[in-house]
Amino acid sequence: MTELTGWLLDVYAGEQGLTIWLLGEDGERRCLRQTFPVTFYVASPAGERADGRAPDLRSAWRWLSSQPEPLHLARTERRDLFAGAIPVLSIQVQRPGDLPGLFRRFSTVFPNLTFYDADLPISLRYAAVFGVFALCHCRVEVQGNQIKTITALDSPWDLDPEYPPLRTLGLEPDCNPAHAEPKGVIFSYSGYRYRLPLEPVRGLLANLNAILRMYNPDLILTNWGDTWLLPKLLELSKDSPLLLNRDPSALITRKEQRTYYAYGQVIYRGAQVHLAGRWHIDTCNAVMYHDYGLDGIFELARVTGLPIQTVARVSPGTGISSMQIMTALRQGILVPWHKQQAEAPKNLLELVHADMGGMVYQPTVGLHSNVAEVDFVSMYPSIMAHFNISPETVVLGEYHPQTGLPITRAERGLVPETLQPLLEKRIAIKSQLLMLPKWDPRRKRYKAAVSAHKWLLVTCFGYLGYKNARFGRIESHEAVTAYGREILLRAKEAAEDLGFEVLHLYVDGMWIKKPGSVTVADFQPLLDEIVTRTGLPIGLDGVYRWVAFLPSRVDARIPVANRYFGVFQSGEIKVRGIELRRHDTPDFIKELQQQMLEILAKAPDAEHVSDLLPEVQALVRHRLADLKRGRVPPEKLIVRQTLSRELDAYRSPSQAAVAARQLAEHDKNLRPGQVVRFLYTLGKPGVRAWDVPGELDNRTIDVGRYSTLLEHAAETIFQPFLSGGIWIRLPLLSDLFYPNRTPVLQE
Amino acid sequence: MGRTLPSITQEFLQEQASFARFRRALRRSDQIALDDLFVSAHKHIAAAGYAAHALPFEIFLLAMLLEEHKQVMLLRQQMDEKLRLHPGDD
Repeated sequence: MTELTGWLLDVYAGEQGLTIWLLGEDGERRCLRQTFPVTFYVASPAGERADGRAPDLRSAWRWLSSQPEPLHLARTERRDLFAGAIPVLSIQVQRPGDLPGLFRRFSTVFPNLTFYDADLPISLRYAAVFGVFALCHCRVEVQGNQIKTITALDSPWDLDPEYPPLRTLGLEPDCNPAHAEPKGVIFSYSGYRYRLPLEPVRGLLANLNAILRMYNPDLILTNWGDTWLLPKLLELSKDSPLLLNRDPSALITRKEQRTYYAYGQVIYRGAQVHLAGRWHIDTCNAVMYHDYGLDGIFELARVTGLPIQTVARVSPGTGISSMQIMTALRQGILVPWHKQQAEAPKNLLELVHADMGGMVYQPTVGLHSNVAEVDFVSMYPSIMAHFNISPETVVLGEYHPQTGLPITRAERGLVPETLQPLLEKRIAIKSQLLMLPKWDPRRKRYKAAVSAHKWLLVTCFGYLGYKNARFGRIESHEAVTAYGREILLRAKEAAEDLGFEVLHLYVDGMWIKKPGSVTVADFQPLLDEIVTRTGLPIGLDGVYRWVAFLPSRVDARIPVANRYFGVFQSGEIKVRGIELRRHDTPDFIKELQQQMLEILAKAPDAEHVSDLLPEVQALVRHRLADLKRGRVPPEKLIVRQTLSRELDAYRSPSQAAVAARQLAEHDKNLRPGQVVRFLYTLGKPGVRAWDVPGELDNRTIDVGRYSTLLEHAAETIFQPFLSGGIWIRLPLLSDLFYPNRTPVLQE
Repeated sequence: MGRTLPSITQEFLQEQASFARFRRALRRSDQIALDDLFVSAHKHIAAAGYAAHALPFEIFLLAMLLEEHKQVMLLRQQMDEKLRLHPGDD
């Protein structure tokens, strides 16, 4: 028996038992095996009959006994989250690799049975039993290559886990394959970076194989690796084996591309290529890679228990539901294959009271000085944890519209139990971030972790009411928003009782001001009061020197929520809901708005902002002249829009669809959820896809259209500084516009 | 992510749209006044949503009244001020 310490890289089902990859502290990469029987359960949907017999379970037992896989069957009792202890048939599968195939056949023959724990990722089962997860520092005792025991040396909730030194191989084609046919592949590893041509193929493959053998990377980090590069390499290497997998006995797993609809958006996910024994991450196909990078992926793998390659590619919703599955496995609660809880009947008035979202007040339009923005910290998850809101803790049939449904406090719910450590870790990291100096190397990792946690927490609320969530029930979702409204109103009342004016309320944030309240300390008594009245943590996001709430574009008398810009006392600019934040705005327009705001941010206080307006106006004139004289590079005029449906499904094609059709004529087919880039051009059809081959004639650019966009964007920024309140279209370049007046500060 | 019930904003727009024929037959000057009334109701849309009243238009009417009364209060205050500063002017 030998003892090893190291980091867990990967766990998957092999031919016999499990295959486990361990990166030893000695730098050795070891492939280990472990026997690991897994169990799933079935229950008879009708329950037992009065005579204590369940006929359909009996025939299931007979069918299972005749199957080739080694199984162990037993009759037992397990806990269902909603129904309590129920009699079930337990099926222990000796080789975990057998389960998916067996379950597929079984569920086809017996479609009416209720299945539990049948489709859980093996890494979650392993994590639930041994407490180990990808990148976990652990100690194993092995005999030969068989693991006898495995113990975790750290936990997902450690703030500063020790990471192993990973070997990374970077691979990318020399151009974006969606735009042009790549001619070479760029390699980068341990300080080298060079390009090899795709032709001749033999040289390329021999080189790649040599690197894979000698350097033996743990991670292959690619651009377009899922969607183009790895499929291409596999196709080229049909005759000679390519050592992409570290485990030669395992297959490379490929998944199809797909498009789906979530959170009001059409989302595209490219095809996937998963490797065995080392990881492949495609930075272009990984979820939120631009947001939290590799550090975020590692953090997600640690807290969710999912494998690295999976967690890099799944939505945060899958992450949070994996965490819930893990809690259920640890507590011996059955995980249903399909969700079973339907909505309880309500009468119309009850529905009107329950089916509401968060509280969104119309802001007081105009320019305001010395405004504080206070936010509840992770409001909805905090509510779930604080008030014990979980699908099984909501008491149905007793309805109370003001505070939401009554919640039983008898037992800690599954969802709060899952969330609590995550919330605590998030708050711990956030307070560390506030204290660490700017140069501290931990900051980058902490920021990625905070960002990764944020998405888990955000989706956790949605999953309470999601129709496919395993542990979801719409009433618990409604209870969260009901508590949210109650809490925001209590915060509003606290502010007004202390003499503050509430300018805007937005789900979990509040903008307030009071004459004489200027510094952070002036707002502290209010924060304390809100914590006392609500029991939830609240933080001061900052105090604005000035902030402008904007009205609707359609009717300037109507205020709209969450459309504002302002400058904090630190000089930091905060912007919501204007062109600068929109994905489809050309860079040229975004840059202009950013520069306009940077000029305005130089003013020490609201009274002096108007002194800077002439400078801003001069800038706008310059940019407009640049546009008209053709001095703006065309790539800064690119509009990016997401396709919302298949091209044939457009009744009157949008400009994005017209551009996508131009691409389709050149055999570049985009799927719904993918982004199409185009320019506005003169004449018909009015757009030109950026990626169509051929020279662009700069004279065809529709300068008039871009000028209008520019003027609109400039108006958005100028608007709050003009008197009168009602906005009229002003000729930007005439002297009439010259804003030689004092801004109207809202008292 | 669908909704069972229309949001309060949708409800408001529907109510406003249902008066389209009425509005069309009004004089232009009256149309402007009517639009103003709806704008003042729109300012209280969050509170109207929170009220979750079975007949939201009652709340919208009350919101219009509320804004009107705020105007009355403001004008009354300004008049009092004026009278205080220049007694005997009236």
